[in-house]
Parts: sequence; structure tokens; C-alpha cells
Amino acid sequence: MTPGLFLKFAVTSFRKEITYRFDYLIMILNGFLYVFIFTSLWRSVFTSAGGTFGGFTKEGIISYTIVAMVVRISFSMDDGVIPGKVRDGSVALDLIRPVSFQMMNLAQNAGYSAFHITARGIPILIVSGLLFGLHVSAGSLPASVVSLALSYLILFLLNYSVSLLSFWFIDVFPFILLKYGLINLLSGGLLPMDFFPASIRGWLDYLPFQHIFYSPAVIITGRVAPEHAWGILASQAGWVVALWIVSALMWRAGSNRLVIQGG
Amino acid sequence: MDTLKIYAAMALASLRARLEYKVAFFAFLFAVIFFYLAQLGALLVVMVRFKEINGWDMGQMAFLFGLLTFSQGFAALFFNGLANFDRMLIGGEFDRTLVRPLSPLAQIIVSKFEVSTVAHGIIGSVALYYGAKLSGIHWTFWKAAALPAVIFGGVLIQGGIRLAVTAVAFWTLKNESLVHTVVFSGKEFVVYPITIYNDGIRFFLTFIFPLAFVNFYPAQYFLDKRGETLFHPALQGLTPLVGVIVFSLSLWAWKAGVDHYQSSGS
Repeated sequence: MTPGLFLKFAVTSFRKEITYRFDYLIMILNGFLYVFIFTSLWRSVFTSAGGTFGGFTKEGIISYTIVAMVVRISFSMDDGVIPGKVRDGSVALDLIRPVSFQMMNLAQNAGYSAFHITARGIPILIVSGLLFGLHVSAGSLPASVVSLALSYLILFLLNYSVSLLSFWFIDVFPFILLKYGLINLLSGGLLPMDFFPASIRGWLDYLPFQHIFYSPAVIITGRVAPEHAWGILASQAGWVVALWIVSALMWRAGSNRLVIQGG
Repeated sequence: MDTLKIYAAMALASLRARLEYKVAFFAFLFAVIFFYLAQLGALLVVMVRFKEINGWDMGQMAFLFGLLTFSQGFAALFFNGLANFDRMLIGGEFDRTLVRPLSPLAQIIVSKFEVSTVAHGIIGSVALYYGAKLSGIHWTFWKAAALPAVIFGGVLIQGGIRLAVTAVAFWTLKNESLVHTVVFSGKEFVVYPITIYNDGIRFFLTFIFPLAFVNFYPAQYFLDKRGETLFHPALQGLTPLVGVIVFSLSLWAWKAGVDHYQSSGS
């Protein structure tokens, strides 16, 4: 797919999102609410615990929470698109298009997320930073950008793979719910991996989830020094490759068995 | 009496419709339970690490979560038919309910059997049971009698909030994210004891958006937490009354909405 075409898909889905203005104001409120609840929670337990815990200072955990939550809000993706297309058969139109289905979906998701980054992520980041205090590591900027891009790809590939299950199952909503449960608990979006007992943390290193929000958040907030960030980036990249292969295989198998009932 | 019969018949029909697809029914049930277990898992990790949140230990937190989830399940059973109400309005389906011999609200309530109720019921009762056991609640006659009253009040509060927010659609038509924010994200506030928030939010959750009465205040009563009363100790016993007030106000807002309603024409 050419970059120009990629951009065109992205811009179209960005425009689609911007039409509902009231919804958008409420969505900012919704995102901010989570930042507020969790910064309040950490402030309370860290005060009781004497200010530092699990390698975090009180300021550190609040910065972590703001960054992880803002990334989570910004990386919103629409899970319903592919299952909807398979159900109503319009996926057939995508099959005859001379572009890669996966790249087209990535482009549409990028537009969708670009809207959420500018319209929700950035305003929430600014307000939360002013209200609760945000410290980021300036020296980590290059590593942060790379880490964010890789975490976006991991989340996209995970969502995309789960969506592709709709070639095999009539209703994929339970799978989407399972995925959300795992991401909420294991991605670092709500709480950092450092709070898990050491025995469980060892197992979590074999899963891709912590590379979605935990890895970029610890790099951005400087909890991991820039010179130590490369190892994390390497495993993020490894997961991108692995998930890309999985989803490509799933697409090949799924689109081959696809039968569209007559319209 | 006739109304009740119609109600029962319609509720049964919607349950049968859901059970028609058994695999989907149980897959969904499993997924919802898993989703809540993951949420509980996050809370468990915090409790294991920090031992307590503002003086609430593991058992007390479980009890708090149980009260919320259990009454949420019942509220969902009765009021989840309202979930996509704005689509009913925009699509003109609401007009159909106006010409039938049962109140429009009752028809919407029974239009869909909510599977997640079962999941909430299971998770809520397990959390309540273990929470009560872990925190060693001393069950007096009054406490045992108060539990159903508190659940009843909690259902009315949560149901009332849903109804009021849904009624906004009569004026704005589209209100999906408002419903999502108020109904689903709003309750995240009271997963934790509201003493972790600043005074403004405590006031808000007590007097304006009174979710704290669903679990926080009654839990203080059940757990004999006297040291940290908020505003006034009497609030601990007011859940059923607050429930009735919230629900009456919402019903009034809903009726005003129905009177205001003009068909979209589609």
C-alpha cells in the first residue's frame, strides 16, 4: 500500500469520528474520570505506605498513571468493524480491493486513533499534568517515540487477530471481552507490573500484554533509564513480528474458508 | 394483575430467546465472569501489596465490591433494556411501545433478558460471602434484616440513575457516551472507599450522584466502621430512602420525557 493511500484511509476515518461533538466532550470526561480515580487511589495508598513503594515514589506512580492512562485513551480502536463486515458480508468488497486488508485496517485504525490522540489524549494529558503533577524524562524522548509506535502495533495486531476470529465464530463479543479483561489486568494500563508478586511477574514476561502500556509508560516517565530502554524495545519489536505472522496466517486461513451467504 | 401477567409472559419470552443460542449464552456468561475476575484480580494485586486502602482491608474491600456488584446485577436485569434506547428513538421503534396496552417503560424493561445479571449475581454473592467472612461481620438481627433493604435501595439508586440518563435522549436523541460514562464509568468511583477522594468528590458522590449509598455508607454500618464517618453517621442507614427518592425523581424525568417526545418520523 502506498503512503498516500494509507493517509487517505486514515483521514476518512478521522473525519467520521469528528462528526459527533457532544459525544466527544463526554468522552474526554470519561477518560479524565479514570485518571482521577487512579491518581486518588495511589495517592492514598502511597501516603499510608510512607511515600515509596515497589520502586515508585508517590510522584513517580502518579506520573506513571497519567501516562499509561493517556496512552490507553489515545490508543482507542474500534473492535466492531471487522466482525460487522463479516456478518453483513461487506468484507467481500474488501477482498476484491487491490490493497492489503491488514494495511487498510491499520490505516483506518490509525485515523481513528489520531482523532482520540488529539481530541482526548492531549487535552487529558495537559489537564491531568497541571492538576496532579507530571514528570517525564526528556532524555528518553527517542526511545519513547519508538516504544509508543511498537506498543500501538502490538495492540492493533492483538485486536486485529481477535477480530479475525469472526471468520470462525458467529459471535466474537465474548472473545473481545476476554481480551479486554486480560489487557486491563496485565498490560499496565491500570496498575504497573511492579506491583505483581515476583512469582507471577516471571510468567508475565512470556506474554505480550505488558508491552502495550507498561513498557512505553516506564520509558516515558524515566523509571527505566534511556540506556536500558533498548532491551525493552527489542522485545516489543519481537512481539510485533510474532503477532504479525500470527495474524497473517489467520487471515490466510480465514479468508479461504469465508462463505458469504447470498445478499 | 393483568399487567403483571403480561410482564411475566414477556420476560419469559425474552429469556427463552436468549437460551435459544445456548453456546452464545454460556460463552457470553463465561466472558463476563472472566472480565470481572480480571478486575477483581487487579484489586487483589493492590490489596496483597498494600494490605489496605485507607483503612479498608481485603475482606472489607471485598464486601464493598460485593454490595456494588450484586445490586448492579439486579439493576441490569431490570434496566439494561434501556442500554441502546437512543437507537430505539432514532429508529422509531419507540412508537410501537406507545400503542400497546402496557406502559412503554415496562415493555422496554422486559424486551431483553440480561445475561450479565447471572454473572453479576455469582461474582457479587461470592464477594459478599467472603468479604463478610474475612472481615468477621457480627450478624445481628438488624444487620440481617438490613441487607435486603440495602440491596433494594442500591438497585433503585443504580436503576434510577440509568433511567434519568436514558431519559435525556428524549431531548438530545443521541446519548450513548453519556450513558456509558455515567452508568459504567461512574460506578468505578465506588469500587474504592470514597474517603480516598477530595471533599468535593465525596460531596458529589453523597448528595448529587449518590452512588456512595449503594455500597460505601451501608458497608460502614455492616462492618461497624465508626472511626471515619463522613458528613453524618445517620447516612449509613439512609440507602433505602435515598433509593426511593432517586427513583421517584428519575421516573418523573422519564415521564416528562415521554410527554415531550415527538416521533423522529423514521
